[in-house]
Amino acid sequence: MTRNSILWLVWLLGSLIAGAAVAAVMYVGGPRDALLIGQTTGAHHQIELACDACHTADFYASPKKVAKKMNKACLECHKTELQLSNDSHPVKKFRDPRNADVRAKLDALYCHTCHAEHKPEITRVSAVTLPMDYCSACHQDVYKNRPSHEGHGFETCASAGCHNFHDNTALYEDFLVKHAGGPDIKDVAILKGAAISRAPDPVSVALASADPKADLEAYLAALEDAPDNPGEEAQKQLDRVLGAADAVAPDAHMTDDAVSKWAGSAHALNGVNCAGCHAPDAEGAETIAADWIESPGLRTCQSCHKNQAKTFKEGRHGMRFHPKLPKPRKEPKDGVEKLAATLFRDKPLGPITVADSALTTLKPEAAGIEIGSCNTCHKPHEVDIAVAAVGSCMGCHDDTHTRNYIGSPHDNLWKAELAGAAPGTGVSCADCHMPKIEDRRGDLFTTHNQNSYLRPNEKMIRTVCLSCHSLDFAIDALADPNLVESNFNGRPSVQIESIEWALRRAE
Amino acid sequence: MTVKAIKAIVLGGMLATAPLAATADEGLDPKDVADMLHAVMDSDRTIYTKMIVQRLVAKEKLIKASEFFDDDKAAPLPAQMFRFGSEMVADKTDLFSYSLQSLWPINKQNAPRTDMEKEGLQFIADNPGENYYGEEELGGETYFTAVYPDVAVAEVCATCHNDHKDTPRTDFKVGDVMGGVVIRIPLDG
Repeated sequence: MTRNSILWLVWLLGSLIAGAAVAAVMYVGGPRDALLIGQTTGAHHQIELACDACHTADFYASPKKVAKKMNKACLECHKTELQLSNDSHPVKKFRDPRNADVRAKLDALYCHTCHAEHKPEITRVSAVTLPMDYCSACHQDVYKNRPSHEGHGFETCASAGCHNFHDNTALYEDFLVKHAGGPDIKDVAILKGAAISRAPDPVSVALASADPKADLEAYLAALEDAPDNPGEEAQKQLDRVLGAADAVAPDAHMTDDAVSKWAGSAHALNGVNCAGCHAPDAEGAETIAADWIESPGLRTCQSCHKNQAKTFKEGRHGMRFHPKLPKPRKEPKDGVEKLAATLFRDKPLGPITVADSALTTLKPEAAGIEIGSCNTCHKPHEVDIAVAAVGSCMGCHDDTHTRNYIGSPHDNLWKAELAGAAPGTGVSCADCHMPKIEDRRGDLFTTHNQNSYLRPNEKMIRTVCLSCHSLDFAIDALADPNLVESNFNGRPSVQIESIEWALRRAE
Repeated sequence: MTVKAIKAIVLGGMLATAPLAATADEGLDPKDVADMLHAVMDSDRTIYTKMIVQRLVAKEKLIKASEFFDDDKAAPLPAQMFRFGSEMVADKTDLFSYSLQSLWPINKQNAPRTDMEKEGLQFIADNPGENYYGEEELGGETYFTAVYPDVAVAEVCATCHNDHKDTPRTDFKVGDVMGGVVIRIPLDG
């Protein structure tokens, strides 16, 4: 054989092996890093190797089908957010054939028209990949209908404080007019949801009183949605309370520290014994010891804390556990594929480490922390659950906004609340980024999807800022990037004219 | 039935000649289909306006109706009810679509946009009591397009539109044609 023939043979064999490996990774399993055509947007990098989370269409599907299926995939995770935002431009508004000419300019039927993936070089804030004058496709008549907008180019529509494509719940004209004026800081500045959820637990208050049953009964009877029989309900709640003597756990775990912390916790007050979390399926002392989970996580917590778990999986800290994410590809049953599967297998996504999640500035010492379990941030044995509201955030986040929180007006109020000021007067990290919201039944809970209230930051106005501030102040403050970075140490240096314009038109 | 009927009529090339009481093979004339759809839409719309808005909002003053019904804890306006219905229909089928438009729209996105919409809305404004029918091509598809007059059926229709800050016209009265319902049926099967 000549040297050339050998080289040809090597090249051929090499190509075949490489081709087979690519095919195996595509169709059977294994890490797909090499197939990535470009960095994904924002937090998506946490799931970018689960290609079929977004690419759900079959290989030979038509472009239209691919686009439709991809939209569906976007909505699997972002639907709730869009509902919360009362989306100003939902897809359904663009379906009518009369919009054909508009769609030719800006096909608003598809998320990826504006939010193309794998294109970091053209990705702007809020994952927009279009030039910022996209509003011009449909709103050419704006200067005629709103003479006040004269001189403001289309690239400025989506500027902070003015308009958003999706969420205008705090920016629409009527809302601006209704909430115009008022002092920067309200006379009664209280986060309503936080005030309710951080109020002293009525059961522990009752237990500390001379007649717990009478105390709790009076409390329950005074509630807006008082139970039919407050006395019976009070007794039921008091009967549920567990004390240190009730703790049931294998001897090795019955430390004074653990028992005393548990006995002072909401879990004990609500009748959740050690095994309730550490061995949830066990019955009797022996099985408790056998089933004992050292550090219960999301799977255990979510059996009671459903809303928190659901929103956690929709947010940036828990998105790898979103129920709609694809599972690892199944092992093929026979043939070449089964053979390939011995070498190429998918691993479950599992929790991400702080180091791998680094989108923002994070502390190097936190690099190894795994995100994805409730107890990464919460310390369920601690009586003081407030640790998750500031301390846990500070444990990893190290950007300027976070660092400037210490000593900021919000932090001072938070410290004052911890020192005894009225519940809801302090403002922790979680109060703005994971506010208390109502579920479908009207029950208050802490949303764990921080993305819902993050960007554009006007999303925070209604749920958070307006509890304590005027709309004018909130819009200006959030539109001032320096003020945001300083964590609101100071006053807004910008003034957004939208309220003034709205008032002028309402006259 | 309607799906098959429309397809049959298109395939059979019997577009303009199909009689109202057509057989199953011939299907229904798109004009009749549009007229039937409009009869339902117009009745529902009139009933909501009269029974809910005129009666409970204007007369009894039991509830409010507001464009910002969510924030104002109010009933949606008749035009919004109509739009929500049409959007839900668009979610379910592309066999037909419909919208409410006007030459004097409060929401400027509801002004006529295609040539046929402009012509149709002008026609029904100029010829009270008459409908307008035609065919047009949009985004590469041919549509049978029908435009029906949308009349102020109650006092509230006229007063609300006359008083709104964005209205281009302030002299509406009961019985006036205030806009039109545009129904489209794709003819390309």
